[in-house]
Amino acid sequence: MRVVLYTGKGGVGKTTTAAATAVHAARSGRSTLVASADSAHSLGDVLERRLGPRPSRVAPNLDALEVDTPAETQRHWGAVRDYLISLFRYQGIEEVVAEELALLPGAEEITTLLAVEAYAREGGYDFVVVDCAPTDSALRLLTLPEVARGAFRVLLRVQRALASVVTPLARNLIPVPLPESEVFRDAENLLFRKLRGLRDFASDRNSSVRLVLTPERMAIDEALRAHTDLALFELPCDAVVMNRLLPEAAAEEDFFREWVRLQVERLAEVEELFAPLPVLTAPLQDDEVTGLDRLAQHADRLFGTVEPDAVLSTAPRIRFEAEDGGYRMEVPLPHGGSRQLDVAKIDGDLVITTGTRRRCLPLPRRIAHLELSRANLRDQSLVVHFTAAVGAS
Amino acid sequence: MTGKGGVGKTCHAIATALGAATHGHRVFLLSADPAHSLGDALGRRVGGRPVALAPDVVAREVSVLEELDRSWSEIQRWLRELLRDETDALLAEELLVFPGLEELVALRAVREVEETGDFDVCVVDCAPTGATLRMLRFPDALRIFMENFFDLERRGARLLRPLMERVHAAGVIPREEFFDAFERLYRDVEDVRQILMDGDRTTARLVVNPARVVVEETRRSFAYLSLYGVATDAVVVNRLLPAEAAGGYLARWAERERVELDSIEASFPIPQFRAPLYPRELRGIEDLARLARDVFGDRDPAAVFTHSRPIRLRKRAGRTCLEVDLPGISKQEIDVVTRGSDLVVQVRNASRWIALPASVAGRPIRRARLHDGVLEVEFG
Repeated sequence: MRVVLYTGKGGVGKTTTAAATAVHAARSGRSTLVASADSAHSLGDVLERRLGPRPSRVAPNLDALEVDTPAETQRHWGAVRDYLISLFRYQGIEEVVAEELALLPGAEEITTLLAVEAYAREGGYDFVVVDCAPTDSALRLLTLPEVARGAFRVLLRVQRALASVVTPLARNLIPVPLPESEVFRDAENLLFRKLRGLRDFASDRNSSVRLVLTPERMAIDEALRAHTDLALFELPCDAVVMNRLLPEAAAEEDFFREWVRLQVERLAEVEELFAPLPVLTAPLQDDEVTGLDRLAQHADRLFGTVEPDAVLSTAPRIRFEAEDGGYRMEVPLPHGGSRQLDVAKIDGDLVITTGTRRRCLPLPRRIAHLELSRANLRDQSLVVHFTAAVGAS
Repeated sequence: MTGKGGVGKTCHAIATALGAATHGHRVFLLSADPAHSLGDALGRRVGGRPVALAPDVVAREVSVLEELDRSWSEIQRWLRELLRDETDALLAEELLVFPGLEELVALRAVREVEETGDFDVCVVDCAPTGATLRMLRFPDALRIFMENFFDLERRGARLLRPLMERVHAAGVIPREEFFDAFERLYRDVEDVRQILMDGDRTTARLVVNPARVVVEETRRSFAYLSLYGVATDAVVVNRLLPAEAAGGYLARWAERERVELDSIEASFPIPQFRAPLYPRELRGIEDLARLARDVFGDRDPAAVFTHSRPIRLRKRAGRTCLEVDLPGISKQEIDVVTRGSDLVVQVRNASRWIALPASVAGRPIRRARLHDGVLEVEFG
C-alpha cells in the first residue's frame, strides 16, 4: 500500500492537490482512498460529495472520507480514557469532571492518524492519499507517534506516582478498590503497540510526504522548515508541489506583471532549494477546481506523464561510518543551517533540537559509550563525530 | 488576530501593531502561533527574546522549548527525579512539549507583557482558529483540575512525604516547590483569563478571505470565540481582487468574491475593514505600514471597534438569566446542562464550562432558548 500525505501552509491548496492526485490515480485503475485528516474539512466541498467518517465510494476505484475526530477519539482512545477516568474517579473526582480531565492533549492528533491507518488497511487499497492539516499540526501529527511514546511513559508514571500518593488517602474517604498495577501495564502496552504501528505507517518506505506551496515568500519559508523537521524525524519527503502559478493568459495583464516576474524567480529558487526533490507545478485555474472532471484536468497539468503514486525520490537515511578511533554519523538535515540548531549527547541518545522541535535518537550500542567530539553542518546533513572518551581508551 | 490558515493573519497583526504605534501607543507584538511567521513576513529574524521592530514596537515569538528552559525548572526537576532511574531523563522535557503546553506558554506570555507595565497595546498573532480555541479552553480545564484535584494532591503529598523518605522513595512525591510552581502557574493563567474576557480591553479580530470555505469556517469561529467569552470587535477582509485585476483571467473569481462579500456582510454584524490584493508581495516594515494605512486610514487600529460582552447576566422579571451570544448557530447545534456550580454549554464539538455566580450556582435550569443569535438560560 502506497501512502502520500500532503501538507503545507494554510490556504496553499492542499485539499485540491490531494483530491486531484486521488482522482487521477483512480482513473488510471488504482484502487484509491483519499482521506481528510484536517479537522476543518473541505475535501467534500472539493469532490462535490457529502463525505462521512468511513470510506464511501465517490467514483470507480475511488473512496473518500473525512475523519470524525471526536468519534474516533472515543473509538480508539476509549480504553485509555476509561482507564484515566477510573483513575480520576478513584481519586474522588466526579465522573463528568474526570471525563474533561481525561481529554489528554495530543489524543486527537493520534486518533486521527489511527483512523486513517485503520481504514486504509481494512480497505486493502493500492493507494492512500491523505489531506493533512497545515504544516505545524501535520508535523505534530506525524511526529507524535514517536514523541508520544516517550511522553506517555512519563505521563503514566506520573499518574502512577500520584495514584500511589492519593489512592491510599482516597480509599479512606470513599470505598473504592485500588487501581491494580496491571491497569498501568495494560495501558502502556496498548499505547506502545499502537504508537509503534503508527510510526511505521508514517515512516514506511512506501509512505511519502509532499509539500504544497505557492510562489509566496511565507509559504516557501514554512515549507523549508517543514522539510528540515520531516527529515529530523526521518519522515521521507518525495516531492514539492508548486501551486497557483499564474498562467500565460493572466501574465499579459498589467496588474500581474510583478507577480509573474516574481514567480519565475521563486520557481527557480524552490527548484534549487529543494533539490534533489522534483518540483511539480500547477497553474492557478480560472475558476474553483471542484468536481471530478475539473480535478482530473488539474491533475493532468500537475503530473503530466508522472505516475501520481510513484515514489518520486528517495530520501537519504541516517548513516554511520567508522573513522579514525571512532565513528561518524550523518543525519540528513536539509536547510538545517537556517535556524538555531543544538546537538548534544545525553546518556545513550543524540539529542537534536531545531527551532521548535527536538528529537532524541537512540544511538547504537557501539557508539553510545563514546563521546561527541564534533558536530557540523555539511551539504544538507548534520555530521557528528564520536570518539573514545578521554582517558578511557 | 486569528482566522483560518493562510488568510494573512500575520501580515495584519504586524500592520495593526505598526499602525497602533503611529497613534502614540507603545506596542508589544507577540506571536503565539507555534508555526511562527513574524520573521518570514518581516524578512528578519524574530526569536524568543523581544526585539525592537520600529519605534515603540517590540516583537517576540513564544518558543515552547525556550520557555521550558527558562521558567519550568521546578516542574522539570520533579519529573526528572521521578525518572532518575531511567536512562531517558529527557523524556520529561518531551512531555512538556506536548500540545496543551504550547497554549499555556502562550497565555503566560501575554501575562508577562502586562506585568512589565511598559506597553499600552499587545497584539497577538494567534495560531489558526482551531488551536486558538484550544488555547482559550485551557484556563477552564486548569480551573477544573485545581478545584477538584489539586488540594487533595498537595495534602496527600504532605502526609506521605515523610513516609516515602523513610523508604527512600521520596522522589516520586512532588516537593512543596512543585505545588507552589503549579499554583503560581494557575494564578498566571487565571490572570490572563481575566484579561482575555474583559471586552473593554481585549477583542478578537478575525481575518477572512472572500472565499467560501474560509467564510464558512470563520463564521463558526466567530460563535466559538463568543462561547469562550471573547468579544470580536471587527473583521478584516483580506486580498480582495482590485478592479484592475477583476476583469481578465480572474473574472470568475471576482464574481465569486462578490457573493462571499454579501455573505460576510450578513454573517458579521460588526465593523468590517478591507484590504486589497496588491500588485506585488508585501514584505517588511514599510510594506506592512502601508497596509495599516490602507486598512485603517486615520483610525487608531488599537481602538475597540465594538463594545460587547458575549456572556452576561441579566435580570428578567425577577429571575436571573445568563445570556451567551452565539451568532449563526442553530438550536440543534447547542446543548446546555448544569454541573455542580458550572453551566456546561456545548456548541457542535466545542464545550465551555462557565462558572456561575453564587446567586444561581447549583440552581436548576428553568428554561433555555435561542433568540436572535443569543442563547438565554433562565434559572429556577
